[in-house]
Amino acid sequence: MADNAADVAEDYRQALEDLTVNSRIEIATLTNIARENANHGLEIAEVLQNHIKKVPPSRTLPALYVLDSVVKNVPTPYALYFGPKLYSIFMGAYTKVDNATRRKMDEMLKTWKEPVPGSISTKPVFPIEQVRPIENALMAARNAAFAAHQSSFQGQQQLLRGRAPVPSRDTPTPPTARPYQPPLQGQPPFPGPNGQYPDAVPQQQPYAIRPANGPGVIPHRATPQPVGSLPPYQAPAARDVYGTPQPGISVDKLKDNIQQLIVAVKAEFAQDPLDTSKQTRLKALLDLQTIIQSQEMPQDQLMIVRDQIAEIAVNMRSQPQPRPAVTAAPGVAAATAPHPAHAGIPYTTTPTPPVVSQQPTPVPPAAFAAVAAALGRPPSAAAAPPPAAGGGGVSIDSLFGKGALATLIAGAARKSATPQQIPTPTPPPAVPQPAPAVVPLRSPPPQRLVEPAQPAGVPSTNPSALLAMLRQSGLIGPSATEPSASAVPGLSPAARFPPAGTAHLPDTSLQLKPSSLKIFRPQLIAQLHEDLGPPCTQCGRRFKTDDEGRRKKTAHMDWHFRVHQRITEAEKRGQHRSWYVDELDWIRSREAIDTDYVAPQDLSFSSPDFPLDGISGTAGSSAAAAAAGGRGTSSSPSGKSQQSQQPYLAVPEDSSRVNNTCPICQEKFEMKWLDEAQEWVWTDAVKVGDRVYHGSCHREAAGSMQHRPTPERVLGKRKAEDDAGGQRGKLKVEGY
Amino acid sequence: MSIPGLGEIAPQPSPSTTRTITLRPFWEWRFQVPRSSSGPGVSVRLLSGTAERDGTELALNHNYTFARTKSKILTYTGCSLEVSGEVEDYVAQCAAPEDTPMLSYLNLHFTLQTQRRSSSGGRGRGPRVMICGPHNTGKTTLARTLAALATRMGEQPLVANVDPREGLLSLPGTVSAAVFGTIMDVEEPTGGFGVSSTPCSGPSLVPVKLPMVYYYGREKVEEDMPLWKDLVTKLASSVRAKLSSDDAVRSGGLVLDTPAVTAVKGEVEILLHAVREFAVNIVVVLGSAGLNASLQTILENEKTTYGEPITVVLLDKSDGVAERDRDFMKFLREAAIKEYFFGDSKRTLSPFTQSVGFDDVVIFKAPDEPDLYNSHQTLESAEITAEMSHWTLAVMNASVNDPPETIQQAPVLGFVAVADVDEDRRRLKILSPVSGRLGNRPLVWGRWPEPYINLLG
Ligand SMILES: [Zn+2]
Ligand SMILES: [Zn+2]
Repeated sequence: MADNAADVAEDYRQALEDLTVNSRIEIATLTNIARENANHGLEIAEVLQNHIKKVPPSRTLPALYVLDSVVKNVPTPYALYFGPKLYSIFMGAYTKVDNATRRKMDEMLKTWKEPVPGSISTKPVFPIEQVRPIENALMAARNAAFAAHQSSFQGQQQLLRGRAPVPSRDTPTPPTARPYQPPLQGQPPFPGPNGQYPDAVPQQQPYAIRPANGPGVIPHRATPQPVGSLPPYQAPAARDVYGTPQPGISVDKLKDNIQQLIVAVKAEFAQDPLDTSKQTRLKALLDLQTIIQSQEMPQDQLMIVRDQIAEIAVNMRSQPQPRPAVTAAPGVAAATAPHPAHAGIPYTTTPTPPVVSQQPTPVPPAAFAAVAAALGRPPSAAAAPPPAAGGGGVSIDSLFGKGALATLIAGAARKSATPQQIPTPTPPPAVPQPAPAVVPLRSPPPQRLVEPAQPAGVPSTNPSALLAMLRQSGLIGPSATEPSASAVPGLSPAARFPPAGTAHLPDTSLQLKPSSLKIFRPQLIAQLHEDLGPPCTQCGRRFKTDDEGRRKKTAHMDWHFRVHQRITEAEKRGQHRSWYVDELDWIRSREAIDTDYVAPQDLSFSSPDFPLDGISGTAGSSAAAAAAGGRGTSSSPSGKSQQSQQPYLAVPEDSSRVNNTCPICQEKFEMKWLDEAQEWVWTDAVKVGDRVYHGSCHREAAGSMQHRPTPERVLGKRKAEDDAGGQRGKLKVEGY
Repeated sequence: MSIPGLGEIAPQPSPSTTRTITLRPFWEWRFQVPRSSSGPGVSVRLLSGTAERDGTELALNHNYTFARTKSKILTYTGCSLEVSGEVEDYVAQCAAPEDTPMLSYLNLHFTLQTQRRSSSGGRGRGPRVMICGPHNTGKTTLARTLAALATRMGEQPLVANVDPREGLLSLPGTVSAAVFGTIMDVEEPTGGFGVSSTPCSGPSLVPVKLPMVYYYGREKVEEDMPLWKDLVTKLASSVRAKLSSDDAVRSGGLVLDTPAVTAVKGEVEILLHAVREFAVNIVVVLGSAGLNASLQTILENEKTTYGEPITVVLLDKSDGVAERDRDFMKFLREAAIKEYFFGDSKRTLSPFTQSVGFDDVVIFKAPDEPDLYNSHQTLESAEITAEMSHWTLAVMNASVNDPPETIQQAPVLGFVAVADVDEDRRRLKILSPVSGRLGNRPLVWGRWPEPYINLLG
């Protein structure tokens, strides 16, 4: 038996290569190999994951069954290893397989939410937090697809009906409770869902009682041969369709995802600036961003990037989630055991009991962290094929180790609640694929009508992009965005879209008259949508993809992130409405768009409360407010955590765009990590207009006209007393 | 996300209340969350396509929750929405875009946008648009839509409101203005115009807007026309100063929301005052040919202070304007007051309660007996009595020693609520958003809106 990790991994890889059909024997064998080599579980898990990712669609299901079998039979360590990557693995596979396979996968997914039948453990196969994002994503995709296809032509339905049903009756892996069964002649395909295979042989020596590391139990080279009598899993008709890689990866979406990761990693880096690995990772991401923005990458490379990004995102998401509490009462296990007749076989002959002892319930998040960290080592060469040559020669796997970001950002937990917001591994392909499905077809995809004209990469979830594409191609007609072209006769606004060429010309005929305003100019619609660039996934605001747009988007995403980070802290501290401002302060204030707004000095003067952290960042004024809160008979909590009397300013995202020395004293600003603000700040810094100054220098320079506010002055004395009434009367401003 | 071929899998049966609503271009989903609704409101998710509330786009696959809201979701491109929760709703269809006033509003935006861009290279004077019309014609909604569409295209428009009946980023009884350079809070009942969108001491998921506020303290303009005019003049001067000092805001221009008026002469006067003070160069009249004719006649010979002609244009009102009866308006007002102090579902605020002696605060009010011979009524010192309980008072950014006229026209710092008046011990319990003594800030006791009894209940 192989005793080093690389050998084990290579053996396992080869064994998987030979798994071409849904053979129960082979799957059981592969499960046993995994069990025997649990001490090299990491390698095996990785090999299996890669295999599922790369294997052709026709062979994906057997591979998934191996995973299913392995995690059910050898939950420790495999459920732990696969759990955080489950979303990526499952969704990646789901995307490439046909609908028949998807149904099998749906069934499999269901069993993952439940304890292994017959097991004394009441824990589900995977924690619900790891399964639910998948369910959510599938649900969302189904709804979207359904809505989009709701009302297309019935005729298509007829076309697709009557295809031969997929022959396979395969269903997910049997429960772990089953003893291992040596190959029998004429093996049936891998049996039905949990506990449903009838051919158990009770007297069979349970596999699990063999010593886990016993000598020579499993021939590692036992690459099982396909059993001749078994029908190939995949219907031949479908093979042609799905044998080719899925077309179309949205580069924009990738960019978006990368951007989000950068934001996340930045935040992580800021919290632990001494960690050079985070720095390296950040650099890698930034480099990746540069490359993907500056050059055309071939699809296969994009696919690698995409998968990697998705995986990282998944890791980030799953990381901070606590394990669920036990989901069922102890008695339930017995109740759910499907085969009371087999009660004679104690489940204790299966590997589960040791599992329980090794794996406390629930598993503390730290355990996940440890696993994730362990997974973070660079993958072996075999497991991580380098991307195609050229394109800058970036190997994503070499940029950041698999799962290495798993320990990232607590803040990402917030996003995780809505899986749609995180990067998904499945960019929507342009052309819906006909499927040999036997399900009643509610709606064949309407895009088929224009299929020949469609280039790859148009996301079907983006109807406006689709419309634009249709317009460009000159193929104007009912589109995906108009699900029921025939539902309301005579209405087809999209049909009015002019042919390409006129699309973005300014419409000079637009006049401020009711008659002119009532004319429909379809080309204007795009100006409010796709012309503005792709929308922010969190708030819907759009950003162009040019340099300036990207810069703004970066600032914007950073802003989202910071707000999310701070909001919890703010909630703990207690918040209150701020005072409005005086005329001068209002006139001088500038819209803070995705930057840390810092009020001008005198804004805080009359209204100490306005520029608090979060909106701006002036610890001084917060402190002033806090101090003020301490007097009188006020009874509510105030900013107790604010200790610094100095104003500060969040270090600008792009500090090259802002002066980093004080224009008055010419000294550099001092940067430090401010715990209460959870970010890097320049201490004693204030932003006035576009420039940043030392607060102290600026006050001095401003002279006696402007004093630093004290709580006493702010609420006690009146501002006009200091201003000598200069600003109080009517504002005299000439023209504008 | 989308997965190829998934449409061929029948969707799983949805939970009882969840529905998918498919809209074609220029259709609207109009909804009203019953006030009696005990739940969190209606939850809306954009599944595909694009959709917006009053000009602000919804993010795809994001759950939006609307409570005590009457509003609509419009799509220009077609969309499907997932809707769940208690709501009264229907889909407003149209056979063609030309059949809905939304098209005119959209084109109006593009006309304004042309002015913003040509005015300037970004530095010139953007359009100043006034929206006017009778009750329930959708003035505020159009103002919000025009502002949101401009913001969406990168502009930083100013929005001003001189209708005291509804506060813009403030409580009712005020006039105010603010720059809208950032996205609006579509979940907020008034779509981003409510007091919930103003600065707080913590971070905000949707960027806050900073308003300039003046206190009128009454519901209708006619009740104290001289004061209203003075305050409009004050607000307009602040707005002009803002426009002159900020290039981005100047080119973005102004959207001005006005009180409901009819073609009656005295009421047109209200609008003319606003047109002149704000140097309005485009007047949009909603749903009143009579008002349109009156304004046309008067304004066709006028020019703005910059010598521009003034264009008056009549547009249809939307048939979907939510009728808001007195009860609903009162409900909104009380909700606004509550939100001012305590926040909303997204953010809980902790106001400060303080007990002060009668002699430690200075409270003004309008005279009880209007002086019919003096057009300008000023403030007088108010005697503190139990009658004051539960009223909200404006905190003025002035000194108690200032002349009453100065106090009356001073900017508003904020509001406090009188939680309790103990006449025997001569002490007041006051709820204040911000801590600190109020003694040297004059408080003004207006005539409207009515006290909100349940504020601390
Ligand atoms: Zn955003
Ligand atoms: Zn300095």
